This record gives sequence, C-alpha cells and structure tokens, in this order.
Amino acid sequence: MTSSDSPSPSLDWSTLRNSQPRFSGMESGHGACQGCGQALATRLVLEAAGPDVIVANATGCLEIFTTPWPQSAWTVPWIHSLFENAAAVAAGIEVALRAQGRTTKVLAFAGDGGTFDIGFQALSGMLERNHEVLFVCFDNEAYMNTGIQRSGSTPHGAWTNTSPAGKVRQGKRHFKKDLLAIIAAHGIPYAATASVAYPSDLRNKVRRALDVSGPSFLLLHSPCPLGWGHDSALTISVDRLAVETGLFPVLEMERGHVVTTMKIRNPRPVREYAEPQFRFRHLLQDTPEAREELEHLQALADANIERYGLLATEPGPRDTEGADTVRRGGSRWG
Amino acid sequence: MGIERNSPFSPPRVTPGGFALPGTSRTNHTGSWRQERPLYETSPSPCHGACPAHEEIPVYLDHLAMDRPRQAWESLVAANPLPAVTGRVCPHPCESSCHRGSFDEAISIHSVERFLGDMALREGWSYPGFDGEQREEAVAVVGAGPAGLSCAYHLRRFGYRVTLFDALPEAGGTCRVIPDYRLPGEILSREVERVLAVGIDFRPGMKLGRDLSLAELEEGFKAVFLAPGRQKNRGYSVDHALPGDLHHGLDLLWELRNIGTLPRWERAIVVGGGNTAIDLARSLLRTGTREVHVVTDEELPGAPSQAGRGVMPAISREVGMALEEGVRIHPGRRIGRLILRDERVVGVELVHALKEFEGQTPVHRAFVGTETVLEADAVIPAVGQEVDSAGIERLLQNRTMLPVLPTGQVEGESRIFAGGDACPGGGIVSHAVGSGHHGARMIDALLRKKELSPKTPPSPIPYSSLNRVYFEQRPAYVPLEVSPEARDGFSEIETTGSFAVLRQEADRCFSCGHCLECDNCWTLCPDGAVLKTGGRSDLPFPYIFDYDYCKGCGLCAQECPSGHIRMVPES
Repeated sequence: MTSSDSPSPSLDWSTLRNSQPRFSGMESGHGACQGCGQALATRLVLEAAGPDVIVANATGCLEIFTTPWPQSAWTVPWIHSLFENAAAVAAGIEVALRAQGRTTKVLAFAGDGGTFDIGFQALSGMLERNHEVLFVCFDNEAYMNTGIQRSGSTPHGAWTNTSPAGKVRQGKRHFKKDLLAIIAAHGIPYAATASVAYPSDLRNKVRRALDVSGPSFLLLHSPCPLGWGHDSALTISVDRLAVETGLFPVLEMERGHVVTTMKIRNPRPVREYAEPQFRFRHLLQDTPEAREELEHLQALADANIERYGLLATEPGPRDTEGADTVRRGGSRWG
Repeated sequence: MGIERNSPFSPPRVTPGGFALPGTSRTNHTGSWRQERPLYETSPSPCHGACPAHEEIPVYLDHLAMDRPRQAWESLVAANPLPAVTGRVCPHPCESSCHRGSFDEAISIHSVERFLGDMALREGWSYPGFDGEQREEAVAVVGAGPAGLSCAYHLRRFGYRVTLFDALPEAGGTCRVIPDYRLPGEILSREVERVLAVGIDFRPGMKLGRDLSLAELEEGFKAVFLAPGRQKNRGYSVDHALPGDLHHGLDLLWELRNIGTLPRWERAIVVGGGNTAIDLARSLLRTGTREVHVVTDEELPGAPSQAGRGVMPAISREVGMALEEGVRIHPGRRIGRLILRDERVVGVELVHALKEFEGQTPVHRAFVGTETVLEADAVIPAVGQEVDSAGIERLLQNRTMLPVLPTGQVEGESRIFAGGDACPGGGIVSHAVGSGHHGARMIDALLRKKELSPKTPPSPIPYSSLNRVYFEQRPAYVPLEVSPEARDGFSEIETTGSFAVLRQEADRCFSCGHCLECDNCWTLCPDGAVLKTGGRSDLPFPYIFDYDYCKGCGLCAQECPSGHIRMVPES
C-alpha cells in the first residue's frame, strides 16, 4: 500500500506553497484552535474576494489568532481598532478610497459579539449611510475568545458559561436574535447567510456581495469546536447539520426580500445536531425538562423551515445534499 | 512613542519596540501542537479484493472518468491481458462486492472492462511494459488457455524467455467453446494473438504425455507452469446404461466451434447445471433442435434456497437468458432411468432429487415414488470435466486435480507450478488469468532466488470509511441486450456501450480507498496545511500534508469521501 508518511526529502516546501492555484489571504501558522470554523471561513472568504481588498477587523478570536506580535497571517492590508467599531473603520476606509478614486474593496470582519451586540450600532450606521463595504459576521454563537459567554446570537437552549444548564434553566433562556430581519429592515442591496459546510455556496455569495454597489452583509455560520464542545474533526459535519435541521437557514436577500434559499432535501432532527455538541448535551438527558427543551428547539427549527419555505420538493443540484457533490479533479469548487 | 511626521523624502522613523515590520505567521510552526497526524494512504477497494484476476479496478475507472482511456486500458492489462474476453464472460464478482451497491447500484464494471478491451482492439493498442531488462532463463508453460496465456504474458513482462505448449492447433483453451453469442470467436482470436505476439514461442499441437514429457520440460527449462485445464469428460451412465450414440456436452461444443453446427433433435435433454450445460442447451435451440430440457439436481441460482443446498454453478445471468430463450430447466430432478429401444433413447424417467453439501462433500439424494416420464430423442451429459492425467501422473497420484500450494507450486515440487481449471477453486476465466499471473510472479521470485511469499490481500476498506454525503445517487449503466425474440443465431446478445456513457459510468466509482482528487482536503483544511503537488512525479499523491502547520484536527480525514486519509497517533 502506498502511503504519504515519508515525503520527498528534496521537496522545496516554500516554492510549492507559493505556487498553489489559489489566492491565500490568510497564511498558515495562525494560532486558531484545531478544526476552527472561523479560520476556514476567513480563508474561503479571502480566496473568493481576491487580493485587492482592505480588511477592518473587530476584536475577537480572528484578530487574536492571526496577529500575535510581531507576526501576521494576513497578506492583505488589515487593521484592528476596537471591538465595537469595525463597521465604522471600514466605512472610513471606504470613503477615503472613494475620494482617491480607487476601486479596492473593503471588508469588515467581526464575530457575532462584534455584530449582534457590541458592534451593532456601528454596523447599522454603516448600512444606513450606504457605504460600499462587505460586512462579514463569523457567527459561532457566543463570545468564544473571552471564554464562552452567551451573546445575542447564542441559540435558545445552548449552554455557555453565562447561560449554564441546571435545575432552573436548560441553557440560554432567550432566543437567537433575528439579526437578518434587522439587516433586512435597512433595505441594503445584498445580504446573505452561508455555512462553512458549503464552501461553493459561500464563495459564490462573497463574489455576489462584492459585485453590488452599496453595503452588503454576510452572516457566516462557523462552528467553534472549543465553545460548542464537539470533536475538531466534526466542524463541517456539525455545520451541515445546522443547515439540514433548519436551525440555520441559508438564504440570500436583496433589498430585504428573500430571493433564494438553500432547500433542505431531507430535514434532520435537531437531536442529531445536538448529539455531538457539549453545549446541547443537557437536552439529551432523560428528564421532562430536557425533553421539553429539545422539543422546543425542534419547533424553532421547524418554524424556520416554514417561515423561509426551506423544504425541497424534489432533489436539486443546489439543495443541502446536491450543493457539494464531489467531482473528480475538484471542478465543483467555484 | 510613535512615528514622526512622514516625509515624502525619507522613510518613517520608528521608535524601537513601538512598531514591528510584520513577520509572516509562517514562521510559527503550529504543527507542533499535533497529537495525531493525517496520512494519505491507498487501501484496497472491495472490487479489487473480489476480482479473481486482481485488477486495480478503481485505478482504471478513474483514468477513464478523467478521459484517459489508453491509460485506463494499460492499467487494466497490467493485471489481465484479455479484457475483451473477461468483460464478456466473467460473472463479475467485483460488482457484487462494489460499495456503490450499498448506496444505489453497483458500477457496471464488466461493461467498462469490455469497452476498454474493444477499444484497444479497434485502436490497435499494444501492451505496455515489455521494454524492460531481458533475462536468459527459459520457462515452459503448458496449456494455452487463459491461465497459460496469462502466465506466459506476465513472464514475458518480467523479461523471461517463454515457450508455450498446447495440445490443440490454436491457443485459447476452453474459451474456444464459449458460443459466439457470449464471446465472438474473432474477439477471442484477436486478444489471444496479441498475447502471443509479445514474444512467446508458441508450440501448438504438442500434448503433454504424447509429444512431450514432464522430464523433458524439467530438463530444458528453469521452471514449468502447468495449466492443462480439464479436458476429459467425467464418466456418465445411468445404472450402467448408456445410449449407443452418446455425445458429451463439451465435445458437442467443440463440434459447434469446429464445424459450425450441431446435430438436430426433436427433444434433447442436457444433464448438468454448469456453464457447459447452459451453453449447449442454448446452442441446441439455435441450431434447430425443437425443444431443449436441462435436468439438474441443483437449484436455480437466485431462487430461495436452504443453506447447504447445491446451486447450479452456471453464471446466473446466463441461466436467466436460457430461460428467456425457451430452454426448459428442471431443477431438483435427476434422471432415474433411461428408456431405451434398440440402444436409442426414447425417453427418461425423472425423479425428484436434491444435492446437499456435508462440509465440502456433495451428497446426491433421489426420492423413489416421484418418477415422471419425459420423452426425448437425445440425452447429453454435461456433468463436468476432469483433469487428463496423461503426462502428469506423478503429480496427480490418484487425485482428480493438481494440488497446489499458496506459492503456486505443485505439492512436493520446487520448479513445477500450476494454475487454472486443473487446480481446485477454479472454474471462471478471470480466476484462470489471476492464477497465471500469480504463477508468473512466484516463478520470477524463484528464479531471482527470492523468497516465495504469496501476498495475503489486506482486507478491503469498509463501507463505513467512506463519507457518502458527498455523493449523489445516479442510476447505473445498463448494457443494451438484444431481446430474446430478436436474438439472431449466434450474434452477440450484449452490446458494447459508447465512450460517453461508460465514461460517466466510470465516474460513478466511489474510488474506495483511492484519491478522487476532489479537493475536499485542500479546500477544507482550516490551517492551509494541505498543498497540491501539481502532478509532480516524485510525490505519490495529488496532495501532500505540510506537517509544519497541520494541527491534527482530523477534519480532512472526516470529510474525505473515499477513505483515502487515515489519522495515526503522533510518535
């Protein structure tokens, strides 16, 4: 049997790495955890966006793990200012570039804390002032960088250090904030959700967002193996389930109207999504409270499916099972 | 602290410690965190394990799917030099083992094999791999059927001088009696001629025990491979009674091959449940016999059956086609008595019977009181053949088959090897091809004074190691068949598919245990630790792990659709 354990000793790794047929906006050697969904998501976003971009980054894991002094994983211009002002910084860069007549695209990166909560008013202002910025929210559904505290994005029933599961409550009491509806209310030209489990879809959405004139917004679901408490190998599998259960609807909006959704070919029970994750493990106990809360979570998923019409009527090439069918030679990755 | 006012004429002045020219994170070798490392590792596919000719099926399917038909064929003939033959006549155990069969439908591997075989004949491709070092040692191969041809072919690839003997005037062996509607004689001849043309010294009309002896072979050659097949009809009688004009099934098939026709009867009864019986029954219907019955105490293949019951050894698909064409099969019956008038058969007495296995031993039972009479004007036994002991009495010693060791050597011999139907476990062409290949490898080891170590194939990759979410269900290619009503004489029933459809069929392959080059690992690694090798020939796979950065998260192994990545503990 052939195995790869002993690579050619004469291999020039640096040349090989520099000649990969893709743009690498975030380099290896960053300090993200094993199986980090956000690290993967960032690389995919930058691959699709290309080198002619400037990134404004909010405080968070991404900022921390890519820039341990004096190193940087970024090969594109990048700035970090504060937790709350990524959108404001990006807006400033955008008007400066516009004043200079330059076409460089501006991206703002933030986690769900820096989007749903702390950076929210700056984001709203940026959208309202119509800055041509793509704001990407890497949504891992809690404040992971500071040690797993609940955010406005944390789903109902999830354990965090500030929404513990115990006798009184089964994890987070409140619901995940419907940020999409708030974004929709700004009437921006393009907003979408995507998941790291569907990279082709994700990259297409980045390109589409950068093609519109005016602000665009991408909510990018990216699992955190540490904060969600799942095996680092399961990042993609778990996020696929987030989509296939209906808990995280994948869709596109133009001017606040839903124009496409990724149809679910075979809806999966939320139990399957909960099983590999520590943050939902209390819902799998054999107690009336746990059972009720799991049913509640299932009802929330079903409500999403109903609200956005996510159920596929027939198998399609862009539904949850067709979207990433393998092709020999890798031709599917758009 | 800070940068003093920027001047267009001088670079900014920087306070030490307050500012750093950015270093790349690539100096940070995060691979040191790793507790497990991923490995690209090719594992045997189930089809490869099931193929008696040891074909690397996923490899040639991949070549074809990627529009490289010639490389596909070259990979195929590295194991089996007769793909146009086996693609037609093999019962394809590969397809029964195919993991895709657990998902939707097995790949139609035999259709691809047949297509590649035919394409090579049409394009006139010649075998690759004959430009290596030539060796002085001469090896004798006895029997030019598929086992002997395969052994001679592989010995030539290894560079040996090969003399191939056969008792008959033509090479091909028992494949010659397969009727044209299954295997056109011309296809067989063209593949056989191409094998002989690789520099084999072919000596037809030389029969062991008549024209040459084992002692002469041992004297004149460094090693001998015996593949005499089973040429002698097994004795047949019903209570010592026999019709005066008895014909044996295999003899009639040879007659058909040599003369082109068969005697015509009103109602012929063929006795036996093997391929000879079925081939003969269908050929009789094609040559004008009005009614053909097949009598066997075994059960129909595919019928619900009790454990231990004997099932007809004929290829199931061929039995089905025989029934479609109007052959009447009487399973679970045997002939209790021949009804003779003046040594001519006028009918037979059928009795209910069954065949059971007690361990490996078949036990035949018949039940008195269940007799019925079937009128007939011919009874033709096709109850199997035996090894002709002429010239190999010393090796057989009263046994019915040549006893071979796992090394391919005949028991008690060091330089005499054997394969094909003369050895236990044979019976299909691809098995004969495989045993010839194995014999050639072992002879090569012997002559190079290496240890003869037969490879015990590692167990195939389990279905559970594949990540099936990356595959879509797609129906299998179904070969076009001439309908039973439209079947015309001996013209072929199944047709060869087109390049376009078989390329698609090959693309359905899961590539179990092999790299699909799908880019999943390269796309999904959060650490950019998977690099494409860009077809560099010194690297074994299309991708390579850069262990300087791989943190061992295991995501690539989890998301690999074909089970080509394995996680192993970091030492």
